[in-house]
Amino acid sequence: MSVQFLPNLFEKSLYDLIKGLRTHKGGEDEFIQACLRECKVEIKTQDMDKKATALLKLIYLEMFGYDMSWASFHVLEVMSSAKYLPKRVGYLGAVQSFRPDTEVLMLATNLLKKDIASASIPNMSLPLITLPHFSTPSLAMSVLSDILSRLSHSNPVVRKKTIVCLYRLALVYPEALKLGWPKIKDRLMDDEEDSSVTSAAINVVCELGWRRPHDFLPLAPRFFELLVDSGNNWMAIKIIKLFATLTPLEPRLTRKLLRPLTNIIQTTSAMSLLYECINGIIQGGILDGEDGLQERDEVASLCVGKLRGMIVMDADPNLKYVALLALNRIVTTHPELVAMQQDVIMDCLDDADISIRLQALDLAAGMVASDTLQSVVNRLVDQLRLAPSSTSRPSSSHNPEDPDDDKRIPDQGSPAISAVLPSDYRIGVLHRVLDMCSHNNYSEIVDFEWYVGILVQLVGLLPPSESEDHWMQSHPDPEATTHSGTDVAFRIGSEIRNLAVRVRGVRLETTRAAESLILIDNRSTLFPAGSNLGDGVLGPVAWVVGEFADYLSSPSRCLQSLIDMSHVTLPARTLSLFLQAIPKVLVQVSRDGQQGAPSWRSEISLLLARVVEFLDALAAHPDLDVQERAIEFLEILRLAAEAMQSGGEDMPFLLASVIPSLFTGLELNPVASTAQKKVVLPDSLRLDEAFNDNLPTLLHDRDNKSLESSDPHILQDFYYVPDRTLLSHKPSHDVTPVDAPLNPSYQNFPDVGDVERRRVERRERFRDDPFYIAPSDASSGGSTPFHEILNTSNGDGLDIDSIPIVDLKLGDEASGPPGQAPRRDRRSRPRKMEVAGDETFGAEESSGGDATFGTAGRSTGQNRSLLQVDSSGLGQLSFTGNDRAQSQLSADEGETEMIKAMQRVEEVRLRMQRASERIELDGTPAEGTLVKKKKKKKKDGAESAGKSGPKKKKKGSATSPTG
Amino acid sequence: MINAVLVFNNTGQPRLTKFYTQLDTQTQQSLIAQIYRLVAQRPASACNFLPLPPLLSRGASSSAAHGPSDAPTQITYRTYATLSFIMISTSTESPLALIDLIQVFVEALDRMFENVCELDLIFGYETMHAVLGEMIVGGVVVETNIEKIVAGVRSQEGSLGKRKAVQAASTSLGRGALPGLGGWR
Repeated sequence: MSVQFLPNLFEKSLYDLIKGLRTHKGGEDEFIQACLRECKVEIKTQDMDKKATALLKLIYLEMFGYDMSWASFHVLEVMSSAKYLPKRVGYLGAVQSFRPDTEVLMLATNLLKKDIASASIPNMSLPLITLPHFSTPSLAMSVLSDILSRLSHSNPVVRKKTIVCLYRLALVYPEALKLGWPKIKDRLMDDEEDSSVTSAAINVVCELGWRRPHDFLPLAPRFFELLVDSGNNWMAIKIIKLFATLTPLEPRLTRKLLRPLTNIIQTTSAMSLLYECINGIIQGGILDGEDGLQERDEVASLCVGKLRGMIVMDADPNLKYVALLALNRIVTTHPELVAMQQDVIMDCLDDADISIRLQALDLAAGMVASDTLQSVVNRLVDQLRLAPSSTSRPSSSHNPEDPDDDKRIPDQGSPAISAVLPSDYRIGVLHRVLDMCSHNNYSEIVDFEWYVGILVQLVGLLPPSESEDHWMQSHPDPEATTHSGTDVAFRIGSEIRNLAVRVRGVRLETTRAAESLILIDNRSTLFPAGSNLGDGVLGPVAWVVGEFADYLSSPSRCLQSLIDMSHVTLPARTLSLFLQAIPKVLVQVSRDGQQGAPSWRSEISLLLARVVEFLDALAAHPDLDVQERAIEFLEILRLAAEAMQSGGEDMPFLLASVIPSLFTGLELNPVASTAQKKVVLPDSLRLDEAFNDNLPTLLHDRDNKSLESSDPHILQDFYYVPDRTLLSHKPSHDVTPVDAPLNPSYQNFPDVGDVERRRVERRERFRDDPFYIAPSDASSGGSTPFHEILNTSNGDGLDIDSIPIVDLKLGDEASGPPGQAPRRDRRSRPRKMEVAGDETFGAEESSGGDATFGTAGRSTGQNRSLLQVDSSGLGQLSFTGNDRAQSQLSADEGETEMIKAMQRVEEVRLRMQRASERIELDGTPAEGTLVKKKKKKKKDGAESAGKSGPKKKKKGSATSPTG
Repeated sequence: MINAVLVFNNTGQPRLTKFYTQLDTQTQQSLIAQIYRLVAQRPASACNFLPLPPLLSRGASSSAAHGPSDAPTQITYRTYATLSFIMISTSTESPLALIDLIQVFVEALDRMFENVCELDLIFGYETMHAVLGEMIVGGVVVETNIEKIVAGVRSQEGSLGKRKAVQAASTSLGRGALPGLGGWR
């Protein structure tokens, strides 16, 4: 091999490392560990070239994930090299390994300042391109003046890098921009300026623009000029992006921009510029003006036409993708424009490229209306059903209820469909289908029976979990699991439950669908085979079969499936729902049994025994909730089983009426999750205040007395005598509408005459209600000593009716939520369904609540994305230089801060020095894995390095300082 | 802005990693692995945009829809022969322009190494960093002109001249290998 390598010593040695890596295939890690040990020795030598070589190798290994933060002090040493190339290696090491919290940063300040002031341009560039990677406020402050002076350097290369460097410093130290902006602005306004510098300035302004658009409005004429005259497409793209953030603030700009943008759209051959023009028009809100400008409509149709062209005519997938991206932005404001392109968008749903599909899917979800929903959803479901999944699964996802099932398979055999779909795409589709259908409380759904069918199909389409497991193994991140397939399964189950609760009209169908999912015999056909992915569905579905047991086609089969012993291993969350459903279904079975066959007695006894057996298996479940529920029902059902054995002809009372009464009562309606929070606390409710300060002593006295008197009825009294001081839980349905004028807090204080009447009314009303304990004798009024104390000490004026009760008016809401149910008349509507909306009261403000949560999270930086640069500090910054005095002040502050910083630098320097001395002594730095040896190998490397290129080495080192 | 530039080969070996926001080495590696997995799944005919990998999608959820933000939302990649070039950026960058930027990067490397191949970049990775440093500073593009980029790197490396790791460049990186890229600039 006739090799002409970079004739530097360190280059050669890196070559050895790389070659070694290639020859040690398999045992790479050992080889790397050995190299790291060598590097640790080499990097401590006095020879700068050797040091740089070692560092270069470390940087190379860092790329593969080998930590080099321990070498930060040596990085600094190499950075301070007098020769350019080693210096460059040092700076590269700093870029790759320094973090804002790296301690040696303190020591770097002077070096950076010196290099910025260097006479050679490459030398000067190094700190400029390196600083953005680890700037801290104090570092930025100390180098700021040096950087600022570079803005007027004679070489454009330096100027453009300085502008960008300044921007990055400003992100951590906003003051930098306050001082730097006038100069950057000068560069921007200067017509004679090098185009690269203008371009870099525009790029920076584009980054700043969306944070503080107001500050850049005055510059709009200049931007306009640059856009029209520059002829630089890269810059034009950025200017258009900038204008997109400015136009919403200044409507007059729209008028001015419309013509040049249209011009570009019509004439440019550069697709990226064309696309950004369209994008700028969309994002800048140029399409949404109210003044009915005729040009505006033309532009709108021009844009959409061009986007359509990008999708249809170009075979280029990139154009397709970005066109869909743009349409996705239009769809929120102009759904009708996008809906016209529905045909091409729908084709993209079957595109071979998953990225394009996902975009089309988002778009489809954004624009579906009630008349297109079914076709879109059917298309997606077919796509999932017909595509082979990543693991070969028997075609069990066949829907037996669909007669033309087999007919459809052959004519959909296009290559796009036969592609294997990754499971995260499948999950995405499932989520989207659910989003689309449940959108706005099912307002788009016409045919609910169809939807129930779709939901059952979706269960079978759950992707296999294999890839999920793989992901979990490598990333044991709890948050990642929330996206898994089981989560979608739970969502499907919840949809079935929602339908059953909200849409009375299809409750029968929904319950039957839930029943078919519960039945153990159907598991193999309706669920994805060989996985427990469908388990998430089972919980909500079990609740449905329990709650609406009277709609079940075969309660006893359903019950047998519920108590199948294989369910014992289900997750606790699912099991507790199962446990609740079992007695409900059992009640239904026994109710049916009474009218049924003569053998009901033995059948029910048998079922009871099996249920008891199932519950018994769960009585020691590790999850406390499951355990408690299991034991409760176990005891009751054991009693029932005993009663069955000893009873006569009829169903035992316990089974016929006691257990059913546990589950009958008011019907459950959907209640908004925010409703609870909105219940206003009554003003007079004081939870922190003691009833009576000397209650303990009083109680003690009374206790003694009552024990002496040993009243046998004391306990009975405690339970049965109405406690007049406790809060009454009136069911809100029964609250009579208040006719007295309401005060602002919706609380109502009836007059005293009313009180007695109401009290009587209430007693009447609750006499037969099993949830209320009837007074044994209303007139006796005998209270326990405990109550007497409370009564006497608090005065008799307290009574239940004076406790304010918020009027929820739930009954009215439930009967007809305005605008929730699909009302529009459609010719082929199968059945008109009422959809019950969430019950709540007051204004709907859930979004507001979310928003506050969101901002709170953002301000604390909790949900910051990885890789994100935080530019929020610039939000408070003002460019207008009206506060000279303040900057003067801050300069003073800067002075004192500088002194402090210098002191800290000195401290750290001492500490580092001591630390490095210590390392020299015992030879085992932080890692501990290091063994002091391997000198020999290094020597070999140096020798071979010397052999192959001694001449060039000399040449290289001679040329490098001049660079 | 551009948040990161990555280069790795078709077995997932990193050839260049440059993060314009600091990230600990561990997270860097898992991010590279996730992106590699996404790239590896894609057929050659697919578009040059990747969905966000799990590590990035967490914070960036819906921010893309509502104008610019600090969170990275776009991943653009291009594959040349054995190497994939990836750019992670926020929405202030134009996706199509980023594809062109990758092209500029590769063409500039090609100038530096003369008919560049993967091996050149392995041994000359310091030069590769220098080329990138002439194009992007702190995540902001400073130069798109190939002449100026090459001149900038040459001025750093002095008269070292052309450098070639292997003469037989059997796996040379083709230019304009993907259709429809010509006329975007």
